[in-house]
Amino acid sequence: MMISANSHLKKGYVLQAGVISLFLLFITAHAWAGADSQPENGSQTGPVTVEIDAGVPNAEDAVWEEEWEAPKAIADPLEPLNRLFFHFNDKLYYWVLKPVARVYSGFFPEDMQIVVRNFFDNLRTPARAVNSLLQGNLQDSSEEVARFALNSTVGILGFGDFARDVLGLRSSYEDLGQTLARYGAGGGFYINWPFLGPSNFRDSLGMLGDSYLHPIIFLDADWGVIIGAWTFEKVNYTALTLGDYELFTETALDPYAAVKDAYQQYRNGLIENQ
Amino acid sequence: MRKYLLLNKAVLVVLLAALTVFVFDSGAIATADTGPMEQLRKSVDEILQILQSEELKKPGKKEVRKQRILDTVTGMFDFREMARSSLGQSWNTLTKEEQEKFVNLFTNLVEQRYIGKIDSYNNQKVVYKKELVKGDKAMIYTDIVDKDLEIPIVYRLQENGGKWLIYDLKIENVSLIVNYRRDFDSIIRKEQFAGLVEKITKQLEKGETSN
Repeated sequence: MMISANSHLKKGYVLQAGVISLFLLFITAHAWAGADSQPENGSQTGPVTVEIDAGVPNAEDAVWEEEWEAPKAIADPLEPLNRLFFHFNDKLYYWVLKPVARVYSGFFPEDMQIVVRNFFDNLRTPARAVNSLLQGNLQDSSEEVARFALNSTVGILGFGDFARDVLGLRSSYEDLGQTLARYGAGGGFYINWPFLGPSNFRDSLGMLGDSYLHPIIFLDADWGVIIGAWTFEKVNYTALTLGDYELFTETALDPYAAVKDAYQQYRNGLIENQ
Repeated sequence: MRKYLLLNKAVLVVLLAALTVFVFDSGAIATADTGPMEQLRKSVDEILQILQSEELKKPGKKEVRKQRILDTVTGMFDFREMARSSLGQSWNTLTKEEQEKFVNLFTNLVEQRYIGKIDSYNNQKVVYKKELVKGDKAMIYTDIVDKDLEIPIVYRLQENGGKWLIYDLKIENVSLIVNYRRDFDSIIRKEQFAGLVEKITKQLEKGETSN
């Protein structure tokens, strides 16, 4: 009982902190935009429109206009701390996650791992629906709602991606970080979180905001359940991608810098492709 | 966490298209036999044949197999152009000899990444979605379907004497060359070009012993 009450209290604080930070973010968004990687009108990064029906000459020209140039380097005032946490996550991967994922793979074959991944992915759909809506994309939003409704029922708790496989409804993977970017918020400085990995100021707030639309938080589960679910998802993900982290970081000369850049390019791509 | 996948998945595409179904999008621009997409597909098929060859799987043939894959991979990329643009501004400050040396080191570095990926070929499916051609430049849009996930990969190619060569690729929006540039830059800023050469050399030696 005590623990439960205590955890509610903590969640309340986290929520308040989130709201206050979001407010601050909006105020300071423009100040950051200058010191940040965000392409102003996509003038820095090549807008790689992966639209198959980009038959319009103008759209095609836009794709060709620029080579893929590096975006302005992301500000990293916390670099020493970030590197420390990068090192921590690296050790966490090799010493804990990887061995656990190996054992896990022995019990859960790949097909099961995909089912587990789909289940957790489905839980993020409500947040995607809200963010598509916030970005003014009614169609994407309704598609996410349809995906959630169908996959949670016909897809049996999200175990299968019925909406995609049968109806061709694909997720647009929107999140609050992208919504904030859409309203002009810059990424802010780079943050490499322990456990959570690469992020930036804006996307960290986005992650926090989105978490309140995650069913497990929404339904007010205990912290133990939340952490347990998170760990399970992480181990399952690691099992599905064994070897990828190693090859990427081991073939980079400065793995920290390579991961930081990959994060920035990946996020910019998501933001531009809406 | 998905971003760790990105560059590695790119590497997969060339090695892995073997048992793949090539689905041409109906809206794709019609391709000539010698078009960039056709050339990419041929090279990929070649690698897959090597990967699947029972003869080359024999223990004594390990080195031959690796070499044949490397030869094919080498023929697909414009390593000089990639090396140049991965260095950015620093390239112009180098002497001719330094440039040649760097092209060699860079080539080996990219090859090391490919070779590291050989064993993870697991029937991934490659979908060739469309190609755009403009003069001597081309872009090829593909998806690689890995463990039920679609990962978009876009290639940039340049024609050189009738042969289309890859000079950059983007996996889930992460450009390989831009990523190398950031990586190299972070070394050059602290340890200059000499430090970069030393780091790559060490990296290659490490790869030799682990392969």
